[in-house]
Amino acid sequence: MNELLAARSLTTLPVVTLGGDAVAQVKDTVFDPAAGRVTGFTLSGRGLLSGPLKRSLPWSAVHALGPHAVMIRDALALQDPSTVVARREAQQGRVLHAKVLTDEGAEVGTVLDVIVEGGASGRVVGFRIAAAKALMQGSRRRRHRVYVPRGETLAVSGRALVIPADATRYVADDLPAFVARVGAFQAGQEGTAS
Amino acid sequence: MMLFSEARGLPVLTLTEAEEVGALRSLTVDAVSGVVTHVRVRGRHSRRETVLAWGALHAIGPDAVLVRTTAEPAEVPPHHELPGLRILTETGDTLGAVQDVAFEPETGRIEAVVTAHGDLPADRLLGLGDYALVVRAA
Repeated sequence: MNELLAARSLTTLPVVTLGGDAVAQVKDTVFDPAAGRVTGFTLSGRGLLSGPLKRSLPWSAVHALGPHAVMIRDALALQDPSTVVARREAQQGRVLHAKVLTDEGAEVGTVLDVIVEGGASGRVVGFRIAAAKALMQGSRRRRHRVYVPRGETLAVSGRALVIPADATRYVADDLPAFVARVGAFQAGQEGTAS
Repeated sequence: MMLFSEARGLPVLTLTEAEEVGALRSLTVDAVSGVVTHVRVRGRHSRRETVLAWGALHAIGPDAVLVRTTAEPAEVPPHHELPGLRILTETGDTLGAVQDVAFEPETGRIEAVVTAHGDLPADRLLGLGDYALVVRAA
């Protein structure tokens, strides 16, 4: 499996052509939560004083997403912001701070960050959440931040999203541990499906 | 086989008059075709940089570079200094920085890019720009 990346850590990541030129940097990552995918990025110029860029990057034009750069074929990949932003206004607000519920009706927490798979897939594999008490028994001392995998079927409505109850058994405390859990969770789901 | 670091600083002389033009400053590479296309020479006294096409060179030897002509080519591609430049894979991962470049002094063909993580063969080079050298993922 490809490296997992937290969407918030993508901000300021350079957008680099295969020709080796940095043409912009990531401002925000835009999701389609229902499909569980990244739809694209809004951009800002590179450098300290540069503001937002009147261009955006749809996922279809991304060659690969890596931990150190978003690779694109050439600068022609940048498009009019409306192709990405229209979706962003409609849906991005719903993912961050959204309530996470299991399909059994238990509240798991609220979304702090979205974990996406690197490479060319743009798949959302899970969420970093502020865990509710129900999920973290016995640790009332501090608010717990954990990673939960997203199920293949993900319902999004209003200010909440629903994940399979099974997913809460694969919670991890940090990103490296989460990589292993996601693998186990996906293997487990395939097992129950067949 | 020769390294950029070995070629750098070599005196550049004209073949016919044996007149010293200056010292070799840097080599300009076309990453897609994997060859050195131009060299940059800094004048001994004027400190002015002259660009010479690879075709203007007669030989790059261990102790000197001999050139047929010092006329600058009509079109000069942008120069990206390879040593020190960051390396990105096409998957957006980093491979450190370019330490040195090995090339054939006879043909100008790049053989490998030397990095702290080992040598990258020339056929992995995809593009060279102001931000990075982009290479095919292994």
